[in-house]
Amino acid sequence: MGQLTNDEFFTKLSELFAARKGKSKGEILLLQKRFSHGTDTSPETTDSSLPPQLSQPLPILIRATNGKGKEDRKEKIKLSTLVQPGELDAFYGRYAEVCKTGMGLLKPRDRTRRKAKAKKKKAV
Amino acid sequence: MPFYAKSEDWLHHSQLLLDARPETTTVTTRYHIKPARRRTKAEKAAAADDAEPPTATATPEKPPRGHLVIKTYDPTSGVSLKYKTSKAAEVGRLIQMLGGLGRKMAALPPAEEAAVAEGGEPVTGVVATEGGSGAQTPLPAATGAQGGNAGGGGKGKKKKGKR
Repeated sequence: MGQLTNDEFFTKLSELFAARKGKSKGEILLLQKRFSHGTDTSPETTDSSLPPQLSQPLPILIRATNGKGKEDRKEKIKLSTLVQPGELDAFYGRYAEVCKTGMGLLKPRDRTRRKAKAKKKKAV
Repeated sequence: MPFYAKSEDWLHHSQLLLDARPETTTVTTRYHIKPARRRTKAEKAAAADDAEPPTATATPEKPPRGHLVIKTYDPTSGVSLKYKTSKAAEVGRLIQMLGGLGRKMAALPPAEEAAVAEGGEPVTGVVATEGGSGAQTPLPAATGAQGGNAGGGGKGKKKKGKR
């Protein structure tokens, strides 16, 4: 599958998260790495112990899958997108929103216990 | 492959790893949902004491719980650094961290410097300050609430001394 634009990626990622809702198991994997394919970093510079100093920023690659593999290969959904260096901040802003809404099964912040603790402290 | 207790530690070491090997290092975020764990005997007994449902054969099941594991991995050296959480409150902060690491991957300077370089872009400035304050303030409270009596007490004392 080719790369999606950032907008398409977010809509698909939201769908991916939404598909997990109401299920008791499943996973979603997100990955980010430098996109260095096609750039002219010669092999000797990548092999050297010192990281090569780059003259210009590179895009980063974001991938998302629903963690299916092997026998479930048919159900595997793979998404990927490239984020240009200039768009990073905007991208991560939206990324955070999508993840927050998507990861609804994490523990919500427990305010009741903290309140009880504060009361106890006051009493003592 | 260590699990870090604090996300700040994870971030720090991930940054070091990314500095060393920006070409190959990847950051993966794994969000997985597991069915709620079976209740232990003690918990069951407590529940029975609280309210005895005589007819309810199907006990009210806990909803499944999500977990989040973030991992920085470098295939060349085989280093992997992990951090695990199940708190929704941390998601925003963790994504901020991913953003910071993303900047490193893209070979961009950190957010504060960039804001100055690009002529004071307001968005980056706000994001950076939010991340900074968010990274430090909520954690002691959260750990205090989570930890047992001894741990909580220790944290509380420390806080009082600081302020």
